[in-house]
Amino acid sequence: MKVTTTLTVNGTAYPVELDPHISLLRAVRDEVGLTGSKEGCDDSECGACMMLLDGKPVNSCSYLALQAEGRSVTTVEGLAGEEEMGALQRAFLHQGGVQCGFCTPGMLVSATALLRDNPEASEEEIRIGLSGNLCRCTGYDGIVRAVKQAASGQVAAIGAPPHHADTVAPHHGG
Amino acid sequence: MATVETAPAGAFVRPDGKEKVTGTGRYTADLTFTGMAHAKFRYADHSHAKILRIDTSKAEAVPGVVAVVTQADLPDVKFGGFVQDRYLFAKDVVRFEGEIVAGVAALSEEIAASAAALIEVEYEVLPAVTDFEAAMGEDAQLVHTEWASYERDENIESSGNTMAYHTIVKGDADAAMTGADVVVKGRYVSDASQGVPIEPRAVIAQWQGDAVTIWSSTQVPYAARAGVAATLEVPEADVRIVVPLLGGGFGAKCDLHFEAQVAALARAAKRPVKLVFSRQEEFVAIAQRREGIAMEFETGVTREGRLVARRARLVLDKGAYCGEGGFLGQMAAMHACGPYVIDNIEIRSYLNYTNNQPSGSVRAPTAPQVCWGLEQHMDEIARAIDMDSIELRRRTLIEEGDEGPTRQIFDRVGVKETLERAVEMIGYGRDLPEDEAIGVAVGWWPCMPAPSGAYVQLNGDGSGTIITGAQENGTGAVMAMPAFVAEELGMQPGDFSMLYQDTAAAPWDMGSCGSQTTFNSGRAVLAAAAEVREALLDAAADQLEADRGDLELADGTVRVKGSPERSVSIAELAGAGTIHGKGSGEVPDAPECDAGGCVGLLGNESFLAPQLITQAAHVKVDRRTGVVRVLRVAAAHDSGRILNRMGADGQVYGGVVMGVGMALSEGTMLDDQGRQRNPHLLDYKLMTCSDAPQIDVEWIEYDAVNAGPRGSKGVGEPPQVPTAGAIANAISKVLGAQVRELPMTPERVWATGREVGA
Repeated sequence: MKVTTTLTVNGTAYPVELDPHISLLRAVRDEVGLTGSKEGCDDSECGACMMLLDGKPVNSCSYLALQAEGRSVTTVEGLAGEEEMGALQRAFLHQGGVQCGFCTPGMLVSATALLRDNPEASEEEIRIGLSGNLCRCTGYDGIVRAVKQAASGQVAAIGAPPHHADTVAPHHGG
Repeated sequence: MATVETAPAGAFVRPDGKEKVTGTGRYTADLTFTGMAHAKFRYADHSHAKILRIDTSKAEAVPGVVAVVTQADLPDVKFGGFVQDRYLFAKDVVRFEGEIVAGVAALSEEIAASAAALIEVEYEVLPAVTDFEAAMGEDAQLVHTEWASYERDENIESSGNTMAYHTIVKGDADAAMTGADVVVKGRYVSDASQGVPIEPRAVIAQWQGDAVTIWSSTQVPYAARAGVAATLEVPEADVRIVVPLLGGGFGAKCDLHFEAQVAALARAAKRPVKLVFSRQEEFVAIAQRREGIAMEFETGVTREGRLVARRARLVLDKGAYCGEGGFLGQMAAMHACGPYVIDNIEIRSYLNYTNNQPSGSVRAPTAPQVCWGLEQHMDEIARAIDMDSIELRRRTLIEEGDEGPTRQIFDRVGVKETLERAVEMIGYGRDLPEDEAIGVAVGWWPCMPAPSGAYVQLNGDGSGTIITGAQENGTGAVMAMPAFVAEELGMQPGDFSMLYQDTAAAPWDMGSCGSQTTFNSGRAVLAAAAEVREALLDAAADQLEADRGDLELADGTVRVKGSPERSVSIAELAGAGTIHGKGSGEVPDAPECDAGGCVGLLGNESFLAPQLITQAAHVKVDRRTGVVRVLRVAAAHDSGRILNRMGADGQVYGGVVMGVGMALSEGTMLDDQGRQRNPHLLDYKLMTCSDAPQIDVEWIEYDAVNAGPRGSKGVGEPPQVPTAGAIANAISKVLGAQVRELPMTPERVWATGREVGA
């Protein structure tokens, strides 16, 4: 039995018909048609499906779509607003924070929430803040560099020299 | 043409980066086709059983089911890289828990799943062979009773459950062992582990007439094409494999993997069919895990640290089927020697069938496990002769002119420099708290020579298209190709787009495996660019009425050296867009060697342009709990000339963190039937962002001989090779004993410490 509802994703209201058991991730991917958010585990373990729900990061694979009714959903496609790319996205590109890219949408969503709540986040805070998002390619190094760059506002200064391993200060426990 | 994000000076921005950070990039699971049905597999109900009867009638009767396929519907063809031992769907016997008995396609995933559950399979249960050492006992249950009749590579030596037997023999190890000052023995056992790409596998097949297009998350599209063609008995020309963006692989997406089953379902359903794996299937059903290995080393050494003899016995868990992993035993044997000068060698390696999940190439297959054992053994040898373990390695690592295990003579190698740099970077020898220590390990990995081919064409507006069979799995190896071509042609990387990951577009390529993309495909792309360069020089020489030798390509023009005003733009020379080049380049020769006394020669008996690595790990051990934290890893690598520093560094960061996971937490646990007990990410724990250590990377760069383009070697696999060994050697310094099982979980570390009263 399908239920008719409206999902507001990245500021646009989408009328959808859903089976009540469908997850927010499935609804956004299959019904709204935004496939940027990924399914890596369907079990809240990998973070590839991370979305903002009223600004708070949630594993959308484990969240019923109907629970998002009347609330504001933000996915990777909406992070830059009207821009092509936001500062954080550029930093991911410039710092080697992207390899296969499958974890990237969820990472960007988590990092966006992290920096909004804590714009001056330290490296340790960034590392803890991103611990719900698994990446198998990068060893997290480029991702952390990118979030640090965004946190320190260096992203605006496109053209600045890139950070290399030998110029990054040691982090926790080092 | 690609619009390329402008990079800060010196940085590399991958051409596929923008689509990946904006969410517009499409991976296989993101694709949908009109009329598409969804596939689910019915898996074996036992790890080892004879199939007496399969009845699919109840599944076929479910409304919404559009196809049910079993092996009875398909050609009687087995597949496998070195031994053809498996059907697409189990025919008479199931041999591991992830074996596919039938496939169902239906209008929704839910319908397909419920229909698959209705398929009735009657079995006669057989004893499951799960202990890969006991599997070679004389009275062991055979996993393949018909093993002797299978088609196989002529160099594979098989007997019963030993699918492949290999030796490396040099000199007289027995006699030399007798004459050694000290003989050291050690046994180490590694559990199986997994590649775990974050993207679960997805396949979509669509037939048009007699031809099928298959979108697949594969690392090896050409191998997938060959496998589909062989098992469904259709010409390769009628099989097109397209790989959308690939969400990581690490070897786990090598080999033929479900493309043929989905194609068979799509043909039967007469509509496109899509398969998307759950995370549990990604653990259980793939035939590509990292193999468990039991290793016994015995080394004779002089008091001065000369390695006069090495004996080793390696037993590897092949699992139920060969797949592409027939070479694992020989590769492991080479790693039991390591990049050391050893006078006399006798390695015996057994790759045994079991009723466990099949093993295949996961990032540097066999090397991290064997290196973990061997490098602990090296530390044990050093202690036995009362020598610092770094000094022992200084005296025994290979250098130019030294002789390998099969008497290949090495060209220049930088392994001793990697050792010195790694110990310097980590501050080896400094005082540390008593619960902290630094361990060091050295490893190696060969370059894989293979043919490849590419085209470069110039379009009428002066932009260019690179057409390569190379497969990008995230490393950036393919993404770096526009930069190589642009440099060759005096153009900008952003002038080029790429057509790749499509078997209908480009010549055969080995795929993203063996760290070979830059090594082989890069060479082909550069050769194709060189042809374009020649054509441009010819055309410009005519137009400028200049001698070809006086011309240079720069700034998007061809111009007379020293007279830049005499120039013609590449756009003008490109004309209507017919200038093109093709290339393969020359495949480097495998080094000469003397492997006459060795059994099971599959091509790994010598190592072409070996990549060499030393890593030093600074580790903290909580003796009360056995919990280990890796604080820092210093990685010094010889991969020859580095062509893309950001990409290469990224491989080290990722490989080291994978290595930390393998060292401490990543192990597949099996029950007494060979079924996985932890096939999900809660109990199979990957390192998170806050677990990852600080990693410092340095490259020992020089122009490698008989190697890849511009003096490069491979990069992607070696970073994981010595990480677990370095961590193990650090842990053992804190505990005063070696941890002899991998992963070195808190329980195992705690128990080891307790045994020695640490």
